[in-house]
Amino acid sequence: MTAQNVGKAGKRAGATALRRRLGKVQIPVALGMTLVWLLLFNGFQWRWESLGLFVLGFLVSVAIMLVFPLPPITPGFRLHPLPLAHLVLHIIGKMFTASFRVTAQVFSPGEVRSSVVAVPMRTQSDLMLVCTAIASSIIPGTVIVEVSRDEWILYVHVLGAADDAGIEEGVRDVMVLERLLVRALGTREDIETLEAASPSGKESA
Amino acid sequence: MSDQLVTVLDWIAILCLLAGALLSVVAAVGLIRFPDLLSRMHTAAKPQVLGMLLVLVGIGLRLAPVEETNVFNVGTLLLVGLFQVVTIPVAGHIAARVGYRTGRIREDLLVRDDLAERLARKREEDSARRAE
Repeated sequence: MTAQNVGKAGKRAGATALRRRLGKVQIPVALGMTLVWLLLFNGFQWRWESLGLFVLGFLVSVAIMLVFPLPPITPGFRLHPLPLAHLVLHIIGKMFTASFRVTAQVFSPGEVRSSVVAVPMRTQSDLMLVCTAIASSIIPGTVIVEVSRDEWILYVHVLGAADDAGIEEGVRDVMVLERLLVRALGTREDIETLEAASPSGKESA
Repeated sequence: MSDQLVTVLDWIAILCLLAGALLSVVAAVGLIRFPDLLSRMHTAAKPQVLGMLLVLVGIGLRLAPVEETNVFNVGTLLLVGLFQVVTIPVAGHIAARVGYRTGRIREDLLVRDDLAERLARKREEDSARRAE
């Protein structure tokens, strides 16, 4: 093999590697990163610079994904606007009520007793599991201690759950969150799995 | 925008800022008062989330009537809120998990503990496998 051939083969290998990397670029994720870019640099104004900012942000996102390729998010998510609004309102409402409860617990005398409870998840999607964990973590009174991915169980530390009623309530809160989340962000299969696992509105009674 | 509207917005902003600061104080008190790591995680990560969001809303309401600011705008505040909400649970979860696994918790404060049962079961399975 001559030196020229080696050079050509190297170039071809480089080209296929680049193509493989380009295949890993996920347009929705790149658009999300562009959105962050626009927010950072005040791009939401009607002026010509905004267009340039958008293009630049998109190029930067693609470059980041070329340098740090990540496995795609499967099966991804779908946005359902109305259930999403329901979910956001639910989380905000819960944050307020739960903040008051935790405040009361902070100032009530005596030791606060809690429980670590296993909450079985009905969804079979990694993304939904993570979102449920995040959502229940930002609501006061529940902390995720452990996630068992192979059994689909969240282990939740519920502050102040000293009796069966309190434990029951903590489990139900997480399950309601899961249902709202899957309805707001799940793919059709996600929603079907959830509805098959338990009939609608059972735990939210 | 009319001056009256700006005044109203200012008052709402002040209320939000005060409420947010108050919640952060509650979180600090909770940190001192609660006895063990897991309960402290609640106050360390929680009223503080709502408190921070309220402070951000307050700043946003103060910023909105101002026509031109150099660095900050509502978009920046949105980003701050978004990334705080997404990252706080991660830190909280890691701290809680490490604390639990290294035994830095007080079992007498736990009424029910499903995770301990699971870990015990796992340990038994592991030792059984090793014995084979």
